[in-house]
Amino acid sequence: MAKQKPSRLDQLVYLLMYPLNWLEERSSIPGRSGLVGGVKYFLFRKVPSDISWGHTLGSAALTAFIVQAVTGVILAMYYKPDPNSAYESIRNITDNLWAGWLVRGMHKWGASVFIILLFLHMGRVFLYGAYKYPRELNWIVGVLILVLGMLEGFFGYLLPWDQTAYWATVVGVNLQATGPFVGPFLGDVLRGGAEIGPDTLARFYSLHMLVLPGALIALILLHLWLVVRIGVSSPPWSPDEFGRPQPGPPPAPRKGLVEPAPRNGRLVAPVGRGARRR
Amino acid sequence: MNRRLEERRAYYARYKRDVKSRGKSFFPVAMFHDTVMSLLVVCLIVALAVIWKYTASEGTTDADSGWLGKLYDEKSDPGTTNFVPRPDWYFYFLFYLLRIFKWPDSVILGTVGIPTIAVLLLIALPFIDVSPERRPLRRPVAMTAAILTIITMGVLTYKGATAKEPLAAENLVLVPKWAAKQGFADNQTAVDGAKIFAQVGCMNCHTYEGAGSSNLGAPDLTTIGKTSNRGVAGFVDYVSDPSKFGNNVMPQFRDLGADNLRKLGTFLQSSGTCSPKTDTCPAAGGQ
Repeated sequence: MAKQKPSRLDQLVYLLMYPLNWLEERSSIPGRSGLVGGVKYFLFRKVPSDISWGHTLGSAALTAFIVQAVTGVILAMYYKPDPNSAYESIRNITDNLWAGWLVRGMHKWGASVFIILLFLHMGRVFLYGAYKYPRELNWIVGVLILVLGMLEGFFGYLLPWDQTAYWATVVGVNLQATGPFVGPFLGDVLRGGAEIGPDTLARFYSLHMLVLPGALIALILLHLWLVVRIGVSSPPWSPDEFGRPQPGPPPAPRKGLVEPAPRNGRLVAPVGRGARRR
Repeated sequence: MNRRLEERRAYYARYKRDVKSRGKSFFPVAMFHDTVMSLLVVCLIVALAVIWKYTASEGTTDADSGWLGKLYDEKSDPGTTNFVPRPDWYFYFLFYLLRIFKWPDSVILGTVGIPTIAVLLLIALPFIDVSPERRPLRRPVAMTAAILTIITMGVLTYKGATAKEPLAAENLVLVPKWAAKQGFADNQTAVDGAKIFAQVGCMNCHTYEGAGSSNLGAPDLTTIGKTSNRGVAGFVDYVSDPSKFGNNVMPQFRDLGADNLRKLGTFLQSSGTCSPKTDTCPAAGGQ
């Protein structure tokens, strides 16, 4: 076998895939775990060649979400969801813990960055008309992610248990209670009683760090799965937009005629037939 | 209808064929772009946290605030009611909607109606805009709607951010003027009640004699003694727990204590009943 020096890219791919190949070889059904296949499919799936920086806003939002998840887990190790110690635990994180201020600051500001990126991403999808067939379902999943993301902000706002947090939540919960039929009931459920107190804080904490993140992770995975399966749309103003009808004769038969040509080495006949057809 | 569906299917078939024939692999170029962008996002978040920390000094007063606000606020105290509720910035548009819709007839539009309609419209967008056209310049209706939405959200957010809340000290100056105009200057209980009214945060939502701000749809209270006429004890009951009277927006002010509540009730009952004096105007010093 003639040894060809692998290209730099091939070497990089080999290195990246090495741990996965190792795992695959040692799993019970070698070659069937789908791990290598899945990652290869994700990495080497074809995307339109004219996609650009606009298409990075979704993964940017995902990055902000991951920052929220990681900093949130660290904060949960030191935060105490109890009215008597919640405020003090936040002060402790900010003032005494090593880099505690950084973790809290990143969580606080990461929330805003996440929301902004969600809106920018939505704006990009709107501008490209990328919510149209066959991507309607993914648009709906995206809207749900936006709504849950904003609810994360609402429930997280109470946790520092300071004046801003407390009074904004008093008003916020009272507003929900103005809703028809379920409104007053919803208000009571959120407060865990008639007034905002220990039960409210525990409920908000549970919703903020268990229920909503769980739902968000599920929706984000579905969102990504649909993106990968359906494919991203190319910019509609791109000169060779993917999916735009080509001017002139329908391209499908022409392709069929040209493609076999180099394989068979019979250049004359297909070209001639193609020419006669026109 | 069928033709439209076929048109859409044909688009997607062409798209898949194009991707197969002239698409490029996600790795490495597109993935590189995503990685660079993700790193920028992380750097931005760290930078915001650093700026927030190092421009602010430790403490809870406004003077300790840095470029990005205070490190922490004071601990929550259900007893103090002179605090202005402020949501996070991305709820400012909702916050301002509540100033537009007045209590009690239309407040539900601001709290539940418009937000629900907005979310439903967003979800329904792909089913409202069904044309296969994707080029922005050929979608005038969609683009106009989007631009109007962005402008509306921007204006509401800006208005919510800059909405000025009256300061307690500013309101306190007005009390003698109210007393003279409303004719309760000789009733010290009512004057004390007016001072409480000016300071404990009532005017963050209610207006009185043209002062204060109309928020969350709360009514003007200039003539509340005449229009509502609950009597001093009735106002005390109401303010202690508004939810008993079907008002789930206004917070409870029971923590003010019986004495303060009696003064506040006297002030409210005096409003609109003492000048010209009617028999529902509370007597000076009395109950």
